[in-house]
Amino acid sequence: MRPAAALALLAALAIAALLAQHVAGAAFVALVLFAVCLRAPSERRRLYLVGTLVSAAGVFVLTPLIETIGSHPIWTGPIVPVLGQIDVTSEELSSAALNALRLAAVGFAFAAYALLLDHDGLLQAVRFARPAALATRLMPTLERDAAGFLEALRGRGVDVNGVRGRAVLLSPLLASALERGLNLAEAMEARGYGRAGRTSVPQPPWRVRDAMCVALAVAIVAAGALWL
Amino acid sequence: MALARVDRLTFTYPDASGPALRDISLQIEPGEVVAVLGPSGSGKSTLLRAFAGLVPHFHGGRFDGRVEIAGHDTRSLRPAELAGIVASVFQDPEEQIVLSRVIREVAFGLENIGAAPDEIFERARAALATVGSEHLADRTVAELSGGELQRVCLASAVALRPKLLLLDEPTSQLDPDAADGFLGHVAGLGIAALISDHRPRRVLEHADRVLFLEDGRVLLDAAVPAAREWLEENRPAWLGAAANGRVALHAETVCRLEGVQFAYRAGLPVVDDVDLKLRRGEIVALAGPNGTGKTTIAKLAAGLLVPDAGTAELRGRSGMLLQDPTRYCIRERVDEEVALGVGGDHARARTALGALGLAGMESRHPRDLSSGERERLALASVLVIEPDLLVLDEPTRGVDPQRKVELAELLRTGAERRATLLVTHDEDFAHALADRSIVLGKEPIVV
Repeated sequence: MRPAAALALLAALAIAALLAQHVAGAAFVALVLFAVCLRAPSERRRLYLVGTLVSAAGVFVLTPLIETIGSHPIWTGPIVPVLGQIDVTSEELSSAALNALRLAAVGFAFAAYALLLDHDGLLQAVRFARPAALATRLMPTLERDAAGFLEALRGRGVDVNGVRGRAVLLSPLLASALERGLNLAEAMEARGYGRAGRTSVPQPPWRVRDAMCVALAVAIVAAGALWL
Repeated sequence: MALARVDRLTFTYPDASGPALRDISLQIEPGEVVAVLGPSGSGKSTLLRAFAGLVPHFHGGRFDGRVEIAGHDTRSLRPAELAGIVASVFQDPEEQIVLSRVIREVAFGLENIGAAPDEIFERARAALATVGSEHLADRTVAELSGGELQRVCLASAVALRPKLLLLDEPTSQLDPDAADGFLGHVAGLGIAALISDHRPRRVLEHADRVLFLEDGRVLLDAAVPAAREWLEENRPAWLGAAANGRVALHAETVCRLEGVQFAYRAGLPVVDDVDLKLRRGEIVALAGPNGTGKTTIAKLAAGLLVPDAGTAELRGRSGMLLQDPTRYCIRERVDEEVALGVGGDHARARTALGALGLAGMESRHPRDLSSGERERLALASVLVIEPDLLVLDEPTRGVDPQRKVELAELLRTGAERRATLLVTHDEDFAHALADRSIVLGKEPIVV
């Protein structure tokens, strides 16, 4: 399948989840995308899946405390300055679940894009192709840099624990990314990037299967808007 | 007719206190392989960048004189326009890879120079075959080792069919056999090449001529036989270090690995049933081809990895120096960086910095240091904790031969108080420093 057709399918599933009005519909889409992500190697997919699940869980926990909808309270808590009375209603729980599942679906769609698609082929024909391709590689590079800094610290007997401890890595990570960016820019210029008369490798022909994928993507978006 | 000509080139980087290159004149003939030697900071990389047009176009600075490649003045052509006539391979392959799939990566330069679309993949595959890496074509770059990435970078350069190849430390991540094979490929291409390398013994076997730079000047420009004589007389460290005369004390065992197994991916053990014993006072070198698990064994010994099976015992404290010195640029000041491992004890940090020749640099930012200074900062950051087991992973990567001699001397100082495990591809350095060597392969050999 052409990467563009696969991207259309992933985007359609994410849009369908955002348009879904029922928890079951959003859950179905999120589950399908989760199953797709499982095709990636376990050590690479872990960061994306954990990040998505933690974010979705956060939305599920916080939404009922912030929203004030519904008339069927399940739990009534204290009065908090600024926020007022804290309570949880069944309508708020339902809304929280829907929002969390929508976020999970979008996160899984991005994970599938980052882990499984051929970005080189996908972005080849577009003007912004190279910066976008490099941006896609930024996450694993930062992840590797962070692991390297942590390992160097452990090799000096320094243990880094918790969010606060890891926050000291933000500045060196940024500096590394900038340094790497400059070196890469130099290498790209030396390899002729930015010169007039650029050509491109031939694109594989558009097949019936690819056209069917795009049609399916349109149908998924329509289903998301009308039935999910 | 000369392929490239440098005429009275003097170049100063922006904000630098002095020129990086001083009054250089030379010429390169078609097909000639030239070894560019010299200490760190002598101007080797700058000279290669001048041939690529990156100096002055990319870096700015003051450029006097003239560099001409195949009749083109580099001042009037941008580096991108010179691509195809010259092709560069830089030191760190990670920092020059643009795309995700190997075949696309090799094709990238061909697309940029406007090669005919129908020929691009064919030329890319042929270039991969030339460097013995056609089997990598359909893999993603994330899966490749450092050595494989260096071959992919060479293939990307060769695919352009340049008249002049510029190779800056191209074998820094390769084991001796792989480095020999790599340089053999380069010499067999029939393309003129300038090769900067800190392991000169091997480069000299493949080069026709030697340039030796120091403080931005060409000290020597001679054919290899004459260059060998000159090096022997004036810079003997460049022809290989002398054997060490140290006697190990062989006292208590500091680290013991027994039947150790480790896998990063389930079912694919990188290290399988390894035994290793390190005693206080001895220096042990761990060598072997890329991918035999040397770094993994080192991390298991240092306690940075926990074995899946077997026993790893460590008596006392371990300190491990990783390959990449930029991993020791966490704090904003040099002294704070070193003090990080000793709970902020600046007095100990200053002593460690002094021992490594970095006194007076305490208030500088680690990233403002030169590459050689960064390496010494990294070593100071580990030595300051006075480990019972010191593990060094490729400590001579990018280090010139003269500084290797100094580094060996430094590591011998205080070696009797600790056990030292040295992971290296550098046979000369291992020979000069280690009491015994373990060569990993299918069956480990102890020397």
